[in-house]
Amino acid sequence: MNEDISRLMDGELDDDGAVDRTLAGLRQDGAIATWMCYHVIGDTLRGDVAASTRLSRRLAAALADEPTVLAPQRRVDRPATWAWAMAASVAAVAVVGWTAVSLTDAPASTVALAREAASVRADSLRPQVIPAEYLLAHREMSPTTPIQGLGPIQRVSVTGDAALAR
Amino acid sequence: MQSGFPAMRRAFASAVATAVLALAFPAAAQDGAALLGRAADAARTLNYTGTIAYQRAAGVETARLIHVNDGGEEFEKLYNLDGPAREVIRSNGEVRCYYPDAKVVRVEPRTFRNAFPSLSPQQQSSLAQYYTVRKGGIGRVAGLEAQAWTFEPKDGLRYGHELWTDPTTGILLKARMINERGEVVEQIAFLDIVLGAKLGPEAAKPTWPVSPPDWQVRRPRTGKLVEADTGWVVAKLPPGYAKVSEGRLGGRGGKSDGAAQLVYSDGMVAVSVFIDQRGGPQRHVGRARQGGLNQFSVKQDDYVITALGEAPPDAVQAIATSVTRR
Repeated sequence: MNEDISRLMDGELDDDGAVDRTLAGLRQDGAIATWMCYHVIGDTLRGDVAASTRLSRRLAAALADEPTVLAPQRRVDRPATWAWAMAASVAAVAVVGWTAVSLTDAPASTVALAREAASVRADSLRPQVIPAEYLLAHREMSPTTPIQGLGPIQRVSVTGDAALAR
Repeated sequence: MQSGFPAMRRAFASAVATAVLALAFPAAAQDGAALLGRAADAARTLNYTGTIAYQRAAGVETARLIHVNDGGEEFEKLYNLDGPAREVIRSNGEVRCYYPDAKVVRVEPRTFRNAFPSLSPQQQSSLAQYYTVRKGGIGRVAGLEAQAWTFEPKDGLRYGHELWTDPTTGILLKARMINERGEVVEQIAFLDIVLGAKLGPEAAKPTWPVSPPDWQVRRPRTGKLVEADTGWVVAKLPPGYAKVSEGRLGGRGGKSDGAAQLVYSDGMVAVSVFIDQRGGPQRHVGRARQGGLNQFSVKQDDYVITALGEAPPDAVQAIATSVTRR
């Protein structure tokens, strides 16, 4: 079920039957908490840190029930290399950190969150890593690069090193 | 997006007011471009060694930097001081990244220096039109007196910047990017620096001048940008951003059949747009961020379109979602 919820949010459920079944499943106990939890994780990944106190309690409950929820099983198109796994684990730590922040600094915005949870967004929940090839190609063109004796490689070597070594 | 404008200005103003810049006053428009040009020159031409701290949400990382200009030729060595050992050597028109734990050397055919040695007139104009440049007070960075500057954005489509430069040489000692809530999204600074030391190229030599035989030497899949008409365009470009480059990244075997790259700049930062066949390096849609860098990816037919730049998430998303065939 959690896999289907995640795929639904990613826009990866292709046939209508699967979408209907997943939406119906959301009415079951616990499923909606997972749904909301995934959205909070997605939002914190995207830097949109906002959660209501009530949601925080439900999130905490969902986390207690579903210890694997922060790392939903994903289909991968090719075998994960050690480098990818390393990058993913670093990002996962960041997610946990951000989630903790969002729980403690949660403003009361239940309405906004309800609207958020009701809309199916294509944004991915996976820990996202900016591709090193893009990062380097971009850095060469950015005006911030030449003013810093340290800019591009410093950032890439430290933050994207796993991807670079691939 | 426009509604964020007053909030951003207020937040930025309050952040500035509480910093050492309480006495800031507006500088002449051309001062901003001159300051950036001087900092770029200093970073390229001076000899210096120092310790750098790079800070973003995930924490602080430190590294040691040695930069040598030997008769106009640059040599640079950078190695981190925490986490797994990493070393980056920049010389002879390429960059080598050493990963001793993985026994990998990655060779990049780039120098990160000569693409845009100075701002174009268009970029200078955008800079003056979309940022208020203020010369701040004298502070202290890395044990040196430092001149503070602020680049306050005039709309919600760009971050604010605070820079500290060495008054004597103009070299950048510290830089901050600030979001619409007045929070620092990324900060990079020298913790200590020695300027003008007598150094030769040997000071920036790699720890492994010859790669050990059991190490792998890897060269990236994509090469340098080859200028070309790509047939793609950003239909609704946010105000202040103008195209500075367009072409294709070199593919395998020196062919320029890689991803299309379009670069837009407002004089302070740039946003790159990559249009790649599905199966390229960007596999997922949506947002990603890394310090002050934001990315947004979207699928269109057989392509994945990715916008990436030192701009707020909304600006990057607006660019990515309005890419179209010309």
